[in-house]
Amino acid sequence: MKRAATLPARVLWNAFYWTYERATWQYDLMVIAILAFVWLTPPDWLNDPTATGSGPIGWLLELVNR
Amino acid sequence: MTVTGFIGTICMFPLRVIINTCVRLRIHPNILTFVGVLINVAAAWALALGRFVTAAIIMVIANIFDFIDGKVALELKAVSAFGGFWDSVIDRFSDISLFIGLIYLYSRMGRTDYVMVAALAMMFVVMTSYTRARAESIIPKCKVGFMERPERIVLFMVGAFTNRMAAVLWVTLILSIFTVADRIILTWRELKNAEGVIA
Repeated sequence: MKRAATLPARVLWNAFYWTYERATWQYDLMVIAILAFVWLTPPDWLNDPTATGSGPIGWLLELVNR
Repeated sequence: MTVTGFIGTICMFPLRVIINTCVRLRIHPNILTFVGVLINVAAAWALALGRFVTAAIIMVIANIFDFIDGKVALELKAVSAFGGFWDSVIDRFSDISLFIGLIYLYSRMGRTDYVMVAALAMMFVVMTSYTRARAESIIPKCKVGFMERPERIVLFMVGAFTNRMAAVLWVTLILSIFTVADRIILTWRELKNAEGVIA
């Protein structure tokens, strides 16, 4: 029980206090998370000065709301 | 093999050809480093004009020079303390010039919010390298934190190619803050342990 409670905290700490080398699965996961944020976050949410439109997440939300 | 490892291996093939050509032509690595910064300034200029795809293409070329200088130095047996110093200093100019390009663009657009985001990101990027350089003068190694120069450069190119510079600036800012914090924590721990050993 205690182990389950500490696991998310440990994952968060390891993501913050980064000691992993390149070309490890943890590194791949971080890269995927970053690219997902960059490409999927609607530019409007960030008030992006150059990009326009709502991005893939925005299109999905529009599709669901239709 | 991991995905990023596989991509790295694929990228090494064309780079190997360029490295071999430079070695055959006996181009001094310090010259490669300097050419890299000049091309990066051109990329910054393109960013300042809002021509992101052009900037991204120029950045790819600039960073080829940046990447191969060390490898060429090794193969030419021209590795020197000054070369390492020169490379680090020139890298900071390259980093800062790209941010200045973006700051110029956002200020021209009247976007004070993103001028601040870019300026803060620039500050933490410089602090990322400073903390490591300073730490390694008092502890043996300070290589923690995710957002190092190669990650930053690739992220900048991704942002420029796909016109997602705002998201890239946020990621750069937050992960650079984490990296600086990681390096401070590591240095503090190492020094505390060393004091404990001495005591």
